[in-house]
Amino acid sequence: MLVNQFLVLGAVLFSIGVYGVLARRNGVLVLMSIELILNAVNINLVALGALQGASGAVTGQVFALFVITIAAAEVGVGLAIVLLIYRNRASVDLDEVDLMKG
Amino acid sequence: MTPAVIAQIEPIATPEIEWFAVSPLLVLVGGALVLLTAAALARSRPPRGFYALFTVVTAALAVACSALLWQRVTDPGRGPFTAIGGAITIDGFSVFFAVTITAAIALGALLADDYLRREGLDGPELYVLMLLSGTGGVVMAMANDLIVVFLGLETLSIALYVMAGLHLRRLESQESAIKYFVLGSFSSAFLLYGIALVYGATGSTNFGAIAGFLSGNVLASNGLLLAGFALLLVGLGFKVAAVPFHVWTPDVYQGAPTPVTAFMASASKAAGFAALLRVFVSTFDVYRLDWRPLMWGLAVLSLLVGSFLAVVQSDVKRMLAYSSISHAGFILVGAEAASDRGIAGALFYLLAYTFMVVGSFGVATLVGGRGDADHGLSAYRGLSRRRPLLALAFTVLLLAQAGVPLTSGFLAKFYVIGAAVEADSYALALIAMLSAVVAAFVYLRITVAMYMGDETEGAEAVTRPAVRVPPGAALALGVAVAFTIVVGILPSPVVDFARDAVPVLLSAP
Amino acid sequence: MAAQNLVFAVLAVVAVLAALRVVTTRNVVHAALYLVAVLGSVGALYVLLAAEFLAAVQVLIYIGAIVVLFLFGIMLTRPTLGRESGLDNDQRWLAGITGLFLFGVLSYVLVEAFGDERLPRLEGLDREALTAERGTGAVGDAIFSTYLVPFEVVSVLLLAALVGAIVLARRE
Repeated sequence: MLVNQFLVLGAVLFSIGVYGVLARRNGVLVLMSIELILNAVNINLVALGALQGASGAVTGQVFALFVITIAAAEVGVGLAIVLLIYRNRASVDLDEVDLMKG
Repeated sequence: MTPAVIAQIEPIATPEIEWFAVSPLLVLVGGALVLLTAAALARSRPPRGFYALFTVVTAALAVACSALLWQRVTDPGRGPFTAIGGAITIDGFSVFFAVTITAAIALGALLADDYLRREGLDGPELYVLMLLSGTGGVVMAMANDLIVVFLGLETLSIALYVMAGLHLRRLESQESAIKYFVLGSFSSAFLLYGIALVYGATGSTNFGAIAGFLSGNVLASNGLLLAGFALLLVGLGFKVAAVPFHVWTPDVYQGAPTPVTAFMASASKAAGFAALLRVFVSTFDVYRLDWRPLMWGLAVLSLLVGSFLAVVQSDVKRMLAYSSISHAGFILVGAEAASDRGIAGALFYLLAYTFMVVGSFGVATLVGGRGDADHGLSAYRGLSRRRPLLALAFTVLLLAQAGVPLTSGFLAKFYVIGAAVEADSYALALIAMLSAVVAAFVYLRITVAMYMGDETEGAEAVTRPAVRVPPGAALALGVAVAFTIVVGILPSPVVDFARDAVPVLLSAP
Repeated sequence: MAAQNLVFAVLAVVAVLAALRVVTTRNVVHAALYLVAVLGSVGALYVLLAAEFLAAVQVLIYIGAIVVLFLFGIMLTRPTLGRESGLDNDQRWLAGITGLFLFGVLSYVLVEAFGDERLPRLEGLDREALTAERGTGAVGDAIFSTYLVPFEVVSVLLLAALVGAIVLARRE
């Protein structure tokens, strides 16, 4: 298998995720798009690690494990913030969250 | 498993843990844990100001540990070292940032004390989050590995997202939290992708190993590395609020509870610059021809956009937010010089800026009044008659931000611009001076409003609720003002501190 | 290996199509289910890359915990299920161009850097030696030796997230 199969797949998922963050206005869907980016990064890390031999393979996996942990923590806090907004406005539309101008 | 099987298992070769090296971190985390546990177990409410006092004592202990570490790293016989498997570096640089960030924690806690009671939010949560967030910042400064930088950044950020939304009932605070969260996690995903690309290009995440690889190998094609640089700059540029990654700054600074803004503007910017300086100026030194133009662009944009947009604001918190963007530009001028003198200038600037910005947002905390809403320029009209000392303190801090001589702000600008001239970045030095002149207009506008509020507005001022100056905030403001003036007149200890804090590249043993 | 490439092709197509649906579908619950498809394919790709432990974690944490959290989030914020409008803003074109641009740049630098470099073949090597040097045990050893500091920092991060989520979610 070529390493680029995995890396380019990562690039595709990364770009789709970036599109999602920019194009979505529903808070939960934006969070899902960020998950796509983090998965793209993880594919890259594991594939690039496998290229570096045994110690690299372990490094890539460990780094990916940390990323998954962070993803979980981010989703937890992110959903708490989205729920806070929803309780006050009955909406999770990010475009409506725009009181401050200047 | 039978005991015989267990006996066969080889123990893991854990690295030697130098507890002393990480003592500032341990103190900060330990303080957070003790505070959290004590608050959960206590039967009755603690005396007023206990949480803030506890946080300040914790911060003081962390500074004491840092002072001991400083003696160790500046001792010529021992010097800087890497600890715990080469994952962290203890050099002057990490100790410098440990002190800066811890100072921001202590001042932020003093400001938060009365604020939380005024807004009916009193509790240990903000202090715990501030300590944990500061821990993340210190980890970023001590990191000797891209993984550690990333995890420190996430710890800093996640706690800050929550702190921004802590004023649960205020819609602006919620808005600030969601904007900061969405853009923050987006930018840290970019940073992460950049780390992956740099790992792919160099085969390591350890700074010593990366620098060794880059100086020992000529890459046939460095596109991968450059893409990695660009993505790292996006992530770190967001943290330090450099243009064009600054869009969140005015809204988040305005909406977040004001003491949190003070902490965010100081600690988070310091930690972001710690990572930026260590990663680019120190680790990617060999590729300075490639990243210096990028840094140059960020610096110019931040200087110009920050100072020009600050002029047209009518909300003081937004003015200070844009001015913090232009300060990021000045610090980037020091980073762009890519020299020891540039780094020392940037460090001096960061320490001086920390006290100036915490003090300025501290005044905004007090003037904002109950509900944390009164931040228009009109709230400051005639402040000199109602609260002469407060107005005087704010004036000193604003003049220091403008770069008036005999304040720390003047010397900070002088050192970074001097470093830029020495590095032949004349255009950048010129733009920096020009933007300092433009930004001075903003600070003068606020000062004039405080002293020259005319009689019609004087009548309005009578109807305003009196600005209270509680003891904690008064102490924080006093320290900030004293630091700004004393360092402005007697700068040499801080100059020496910054000069000895230039980062050192060490490979894992 | 033809078989591996075939498996890769199937998984990659599933992942990309499902990811596209995550960012375009008009139904929030469907988006979460498409996300499961992406995460599942990525987990299977980890197996292809000989990272079994990571694949297990991907299923347990990502699909088992994070997606469930998303579904809770959807249920708590969306009383009505089904198609709805107003999920996208009006920057779709700009977002699409940004995505395509990033994809172009990244795939260019990746192809330039790695060309047709192959992943090291693991078939035919000694299984026990492979497990010892890059299996789950090796990953565990690495976490508690080389990566001890990051591991401890993660614990601080999780504490911050825990305190933060409780602070934000409690009702006054």
